[in-house]
Amino acid sequence: MSTITIKVNGRPRKIAIEGGETLLEVLRVQLGLTGAKRGCNQGVCGSCTVLIDGRAARACLHLAGLAEHADIVTVEGLASDGELSPMQQAFVDAGAVQCGFCMPGMVIAATALVAENPKPNDEEIREGLAGNLCRCSGYVKVVEAIRQAVHSKGTAP
Amino acid sequence: MTATTSAVGARLPRLEAAGKINGAARYTDDLARPFMLHGAILGSPFPHARILSYDTSKAKEFPGVEAVITAEDFPYLPLGAIVKDETILARDKVRYVGEPVAAVAAVDRQTALEALKLIDIEYDELPAVLDAEQALAADAPLIHENLASYFKIFDCRCGGNVLSEQSIAEGDVEAAFATCDVIVEGEYRTQAQAHAYLEPCGALAEVDDRDKITIWSSHQSINRVQANVSEALGIPMTQIRVITPRVGGGFGGKMEATVQPLAAALARKTKKPVKIVLSREDDFAMMRTRHPTRVWMRTGAMRDGTIVAREAKLLYDGGAYSDDSPGVLAFGLYMARGPYRIPNFRATGQLVYTNKLRSSGFRGFGNPQVTFAGETQIDELAERLAIDPIELRLRNAIRKGDKWVGGQTVTSCGLAECLTRVRERSDWHARRNAAGRSIEGRRKGIGVTALAHICGVLGTSAIIRLAEDGSIVLNTGSVDIGQGADTVLAQLCAESLQVDVSRINVVAPDTDATPYNWGTGASRVTYMAGRAVAGAATALKQKIFEHAAAMLECSTQDLTLAPGGIVAVAGTDRKVSFFDVSLRSHYGVGGPPIGEHAFVYDGEPFDPKRSTMVGFPFSNLGVHMFGAQVVEVEVDEDTGKVTPLAAWLSHDVGRAINPLAVEGQIQGGFVQGLGYALCEELVWDDGRLTNPTMMDYKIPGTLDVPLAIETIIVEEPEPSGPFGAKGVGEPGIIGAAPSVANAVASAVGVRIHQIPLTPERVFDAIARS
Amino acid sequence: MPRIELLRPTSVEDAVALLANREGSRCIAGGQTMVAMLNAGLVEPPVLIAISAIEELGAIVEQDDGTIRIGAAVCHRDVAQFSGCTGANAVIREAARVIAHPAIRNFGTIGGALAHADPAADYPTAVVAAGATIEIAGANGRRTIPSEEFFLDYLTTALEPGEMVTALQLPAPEAGSSGHYLKFSRVDGDYAIASVGVTLQAKDGRCTAARLAIGGCGSTPVFDPSANALLLGSRCEETAIAAAAELLVSRADPVDDVRASAAYRRALIPRLLRRAVRHAWSQAIGVQ
Repeated sequence: MSTITIKVNGRPRKIAIEGGETLLEVLRVQLGLTGAKRGCNQGVCGSCTVLIDGRAARACLHLAGLAEHADIVTVEGLASDGELSPMQQAFVDAGAVQCGFCMPGMVIAATALVAENPKPNDEEIREGLAGNLCRCSGYVKVVEAIRQAVHSKGTAP
Repeated sequence: MTATTSAVGARLPRLEAAGKINGAARYTDDLARPFMLHGAILGSPFPHARILSYDTSKAKEFPGVEAVITAEDFPYLPLGAIVKDETILARDKVRYVGEPVAAVAAVDRQTALEALKLIDIEYDELPAVLDAEQALAADAPLIHENLASYFKIFDCRCGGNVLSEQSIAEGDVEAAFATCDVIVEGEYRTQAQAHAYLEPCGALAEVDDRDKITIWSSHQSINRVQANVSEALGIPMTQIRVITPRVGGGFGGKMEATVQPLAAALARKTKKPVKIVLSREDDFAMMRTRHPTRVWMRTGAMRDGTIVAREAKLLYDGGAYSDDSPGVLAFGLYMARGPYRIPNFRATGQLVYTNKLRSSGFRGFGNPQVTFAGETQIDELAERLAIDPIELRLRNAIRKGDKWVGGQTVTSCGLAECLTRVRERSDWHARRNAAGRSIEGRRKGIGVTALAHICGVLGTSAIIRLAEDGSIVLNTGSVDIGQGADTVLAQLCAESLQVDVSRINVVAPDTDATPYNWGTGASRVTYMAGRAVAGAATALKQKIFEHAAAMLECSTQDLTLAPGGIVAVAGTDRKVSFFDVSLRSHYGVGGPPIGEHAFVYDGEPFDPKRSTMVGFPFSNLGVHMFGAQVVEVEVDEDTGKVTPLAAWLSHDVGRAINPLAVEGQIQGGFVQGLGYALCEELVWDDGRLTNPTMMDYKIPGTLDVPLAIETIIVEEPEPSGPFGAKGVGEPGIIGAAPSVANAVASAVGVRIHQIPLTPERVFDAIARS
Repeated sequence: MPRIELLRPTSVEDAVALLANREGSRCIAGGQTMVAMLNAGLVEPPVLIAISAIEELGAIVEQDDGTIRIGAAVCHRDVAQFSGCTGANAVIREAARVIAHPAIRNFGTIGGALAHADPAADYPTAVVAAGATIEIAGANGRRTIPSEEFFLDYLTTALEPGEMVTALQLPAPEAGSSGHYLKFSRVDGDYAIASVGVTLQAKDGRCTAARLAIGGCGSTPVFDPSANALLLGSRCEETAIAAAAELLVSRADPVDDVRASAAYRRALIPRLLRRAVRHAWSQAIGVQ
């Protein structure tokens, strides 16, 4: 068992690892950041999506032990000063949130998308979210939410 | 806090949406209790086998393991919603690959999983029954030898591997078919669809100092969990408390017991909290599926388009345990006539056991299967009669005041409007005329479905209280599985009492604290719990008025509610607030005001003079909901791939309490239906599931479904519904498969009677034609 | 929790030495396949050698002779966005674009995908169509191997114990060349039911070079120089493509699996091939 430090939501956090732990397990169990979910543990469903160095990443497919130099952002790190990010607020307002299980991953993926491409068209939005499965929404209001966030003023997701 | 008089009809996002979008929401696997252990379940390696012996010694000695249980640790305690044919762990026999045979509680998940490998069970393999037709064969191995002796809650006609035989008949189909100008006949096959909720099944159980078990789980009904745990462990309900965290979807797969009995059993054994959360693979393999079916159907009509007869024979594959299957078969029979005024109808059905995981309720509850068959046949009739498919449906559409199969009166019906709206919005005639033209090997087509469903069933109740500070406590026991029940019921309560939703405490379902509600299923919560809420609000209002009348020295007849929790003497500015009333009632006189309402679905029962119903588990069902869906597709003739391009979905919801939520349910249901229509299928090989993973069982993603999905809400008020509302949870899924199949026929002139319409299936059908 | 020693060598030579000395050790780059297999309990390596930080492996270099060297640790997303993959090498870029989903592409690497050698994955078919060579490092130094000789069987490559993939070498794009990757799957992002990688060269309206590879229809990408030869000198008409397809179908060895039957895959090959070749041909003609 060794202790390493990883950077999560801007803060250094100490974690204990044997080597085989995924980032998802460490975030959820050691750091209490349960926003990222375990939907399949295979990297398919997208419920575990976090940002690593600004890029959408499957926390279930990354080893915590290799994340020492990574800048990790989870859904808990999107809000600032208790205010939802504009993207998060857009998801709420558009009615995109139903059972909510996929939503942390979904909103992280959306955040990564517009960070790279501030004015995505519908096709680009769909491509950006192609790896995030949702069983409740049919994706219609998810895309609407992102469109709203993209077109509202002062959008810094 | 702003007062509102228009909570009903408000496009309110989920009340709990912020927590779901910022990571604060806690689902079962996010919960932890002090000294908690982790549980894991060992599944059967065989589809059918006798259990000869267990050796759990090595597992028990494995460091970190605190309990290992098998059926030997329990007396025989059968459970099952309708037929009690299951036990908490496989007993004497295993009946499907993945059936829970043993369970372990250990200090962490990894240890628990390691310990499973150390459990030695000796089996004697038996020949397995792998499909429904095989189950019916005279020499088929018997899956439940003691079927006759199981406790059943209705007169279940069973025998051999047949779990239930049921039939409905009205009129005289033989005579009617003899008069028909056109008859279409066909056999249709539908597949096993996995619920694939994003949150796998899980439960956390803890025993307190009075040996009372508290269970948090991902479920659709606290009362069903309580009942199932009570039966599975043989302990009274007074010793079981079920609490609801956030739930990540259910779709029918979490109505009955999942892992709660095992978590509870392990908690009792170890005297520590135990959490079991299934891996995705275990969830696919151990839990539930939609019934695969074979539907034979024929429909007959006159030359002028009047449909006079329909007959159907259903074979529903129930898997290894009955779960709510008899209800699913019954509902399939009940819906097989379709939303039409067909006077002569006969449907018979058989539900059989097979050595696969149990089939259960799944959004649509037996209806998607018969609607796939029925709506394909309507289109085939339309073609033979040279009548437009929507026109044919309109001519025969059921209307308000008509009788449904079984004789119940249709009390509200927006079907005709749904059909005309989708016809208009989809530019139906233009697209039909353009259909079938080949552009670079691709052809477009358009198809329609008329659909019906019910909302209702069983019992529900609500308690609404005035709290000390004048706020409202809303207590219905309705589980919000993501469909928005908390929000909608809060809106109903807000409207009824003229307070803002922010002044309403929606109590999370908790068997200790909330009154009975059968569960979240059958599209029933808005309608049933909504009626209970409206009734309880009325009762509470009456009590509030009594206080206010005393305080304002008037009669209750003179009083009216004003927005913001105000009771005023009508036409004057004399008023008191809910807070004032609360002070008086809590500390002065009368006691805390409580309003309640409880009822069991109270619609007309079936009419035995009109319809012969044999073997049916229900005596009445619910209020009818209607819809129409049009889908445009493009078929790539080179590959058979069907791409849905656009959809127009019109649903008659009585009254949209929350249009935003209604749209979301329709859209989500429809896309789940596209998966059913095009790409989802559980596949077995020799009794073993070949694709129990998200990698191999594919549900639609953003690029697989069109963005152009238009939802059209039709509001034909339902007299018995709260503010005229009916449900909408299930109907969205029902029209996708038949609309897509009809659209494919429109595109390439080929009728395919089996779903999913995979590229290979469509390719083969085109090649054969 | 599985005890795994994680090592981070800073050079290929160090990595190779560790592979040789540490029993049961395996390389991990993006981890998108390795960690999935760990999670599923399919592998239990006591040592993982993380190679993503080795500088030479993370670079895409356009060399003086026009060849392109893609380091083994370059992620799919970077390959998909690399504008230098022109001409025939577009097949590589197009394949990278359709691997799985964005989050996978952000970290999955070309070296990892090639070493894994799943014939239903996208890179193996594309690199064979591109005529790429694969650079391998081992205790005895570096060697290169043509891509069509690298894939030996299902999940089996020419890598010897102690060896690792270090780069993919793409040939310099020639005038009048084009490349295309066509993937056919059940849903977006799924493994291919069948896929086609094609590179062509046109000169004076005739095909002067062709490489055709089929994915998802055998234990390795289906490739036969005789099939390629059937396009030479043609204008990639239906008949020429059909002849090449017929040969490739006879070389294919598809299985029945949950995605499709073998018979369907065989039926798809000529259809997908026609589509892919015509696409590539019209591009090649346009730039000859």
